[in-house]
Amino acid sequence: MRQMIRNTFLMLVLGSPLGVLADLPGEITLPQDSTSYQANDLPGYPLVLKNCLTCHSSQYVQTQPPGSPRTYWNATVHKMQQAFKAPIPDEEIPAIVDYLTKTYGAEK
Amino acid sequence: MLKVKGVDPARRQWLQTLGRWGLGATALGGLPGTLWADEAPPMVELPFANGQRPLVAYPQKRPLILLTSRPPQLETPFSVFNESLYTPNDAFFVRYHWSEVPTHVDLQTYRLQVGGHVKTPLSLSLEKLQALGTAVELPAVHQCSGNSRGKMMPRVNGGQAYSGLMGNARWEGLPLKTLLEAAGVKAGAVQVSFDGLDHPPLQQSPDFVKALDIDHALDGEVMVAWRMNGAALPLLNGYPLRLVVPGYYGTYWVKHLSSIQVLEKPFEGFWMEHAYRVPEDACHCLSPDDTAKTSVPIARFDVRSFITSLADGDRIQKGRTYTVRGIAFDGGYGITEVAFSADGGQRWQDATLGRDVGRYAFREWTVPFRAEHSGEYRLLVRAVNRIGQTQPQQALWNPGGYMYNATEHVRVVAG
Repeated sequence: MRQMIRNTFLMLVLGSPLGVLADLPGEITLPQDSTSYQANDLPGYPLVLKNCLTCHSSQYVQTQPPGSPRTYWNATVHKMQQAFKAPIPDEEIPAIVDYLTKTYGAEK
Repeated sequence: MLKVKGVDPARRQWLQTLGRWGLGATALGGLPGTLWADEAPPMVELPFANGQRPLVAYPQKRPLILLTSRPPQLETPFSVFNESLYTPNDAFFVRYHWSEVPTHVDLQTYRLQVGGHVKTPLSLSLEKLQALGTAVELPAVHQCSGNSRGKMMPRVNGGQAYSGLMGNARWEGLPLKTLLEAAGVKAGAVQVSFDGLDHPPLQQSPDFVKALDIDHALDGEVMVAWRMNGAALPLLNGYPLRLVVPGYYGTYWVKHLSSIQVLEKPFEGFWMEHAYRVPEDACHCLSPDDTAKTSVPIARFDVRSFITSLADGDRIQKGRTYTVRGIAFDGGYGITEVAFSADGGQRWQDATLGRDVGRYAFREWTVPFRAEHSGEYRLLVRAVNRIGQTQPQQALWNPGGYMYNATEHVRVVAG
């Protein structure tokens, strides 16, 4: 399998314009973001998918220290709305904070 | 210190090869899904809670520690700092604030605007900019304000990094002063602001713009750089032109420079007024229980030093003399002394400093070390700079988790 991947790779890079493009310093293709938020039954889950993926990938949430308290998630969601101008409807904030605290934070 | 898991040596070799070509699987656009569908990426575990990260090769980069994928944020594996005094471009850390990263920069259309409170506003192609003066080269450390935040106790929220958000490079470019003099700074200028081609995905969000005081901008050392370590900047490190602010935290080193504005009034943007601020007092620290204090924009690096030739958990031979090696740096006063302890900090000995390549650069140090007995040794290092600043035994704390510089230690086992 590894040999096959390697051959596919060499064919793609050396035998196509991709190999040339990759040498241009001013041109890159970023990999797709394959991460997302953990699915569960909390009402905040679809709201996080709707609001939080517009600007950043989910690792911003996933990599926080374990046990991050509800006060942190609440302050952070408000910061996204107030300081960073994310168009998060006020009425959706409590459910988003609840999802983050229970899925990634102190109430996990 | 850094354990690679879930990757066999052949595969690791292959990843390294991809990295050397600047062509990780992920560089192939829409293909990574197909290529990697049957295998998870290799993981590393940073030494703090929730420190599992994938190693991923981004375009023009070898496999690095992936913190976030959008925007791309990559940490340098610590072992890289033992490879060479200068951090290779393909291993240099990447940090962005907003996800609209300029993935295509065409030098035919690229222009740097120099304007504001100047006599002659300029619109410069890279070629025209380079013709304004004689290029200079300066070795300098670049370090993120939040480098080592993951080690701060109590933990601080934000980007959770070990100590790989730093690097040492030879920066080649023009003094910012040359550019500002070409535009002619008018009397009454107080600050200069810097914007790059990276932007927020939503127009209403605060764009990443930073500012320096006019005297700092004109000090002759702040640079606009188009090369690092003898090659064009990797795109993710700011191609085609970035600001280099020697001795100052990375937040000021604006990438993909597009606009430099001379200001008559202090800049009031979000990223100066509300972000990257530290407590005003000399230690830039406070007790985790305190909150209210006056803050100032983060500025110069504090003193740091690291052991690079040995990592946590390494096994060494009893009775054999090793040369322990490492690096030290500060905000530009220059490292004058590095001390090493092999017994957890009870006794210290002077390390020998390596060649001085510049007061803003990594300074190599070496010290002989022999473990006389079997068992665990706790190795410590601390540095002192020309004005007597050194490193605390316990990390100083601040609410941003910035400026971590506690004495570093490595545990090795002799047998």
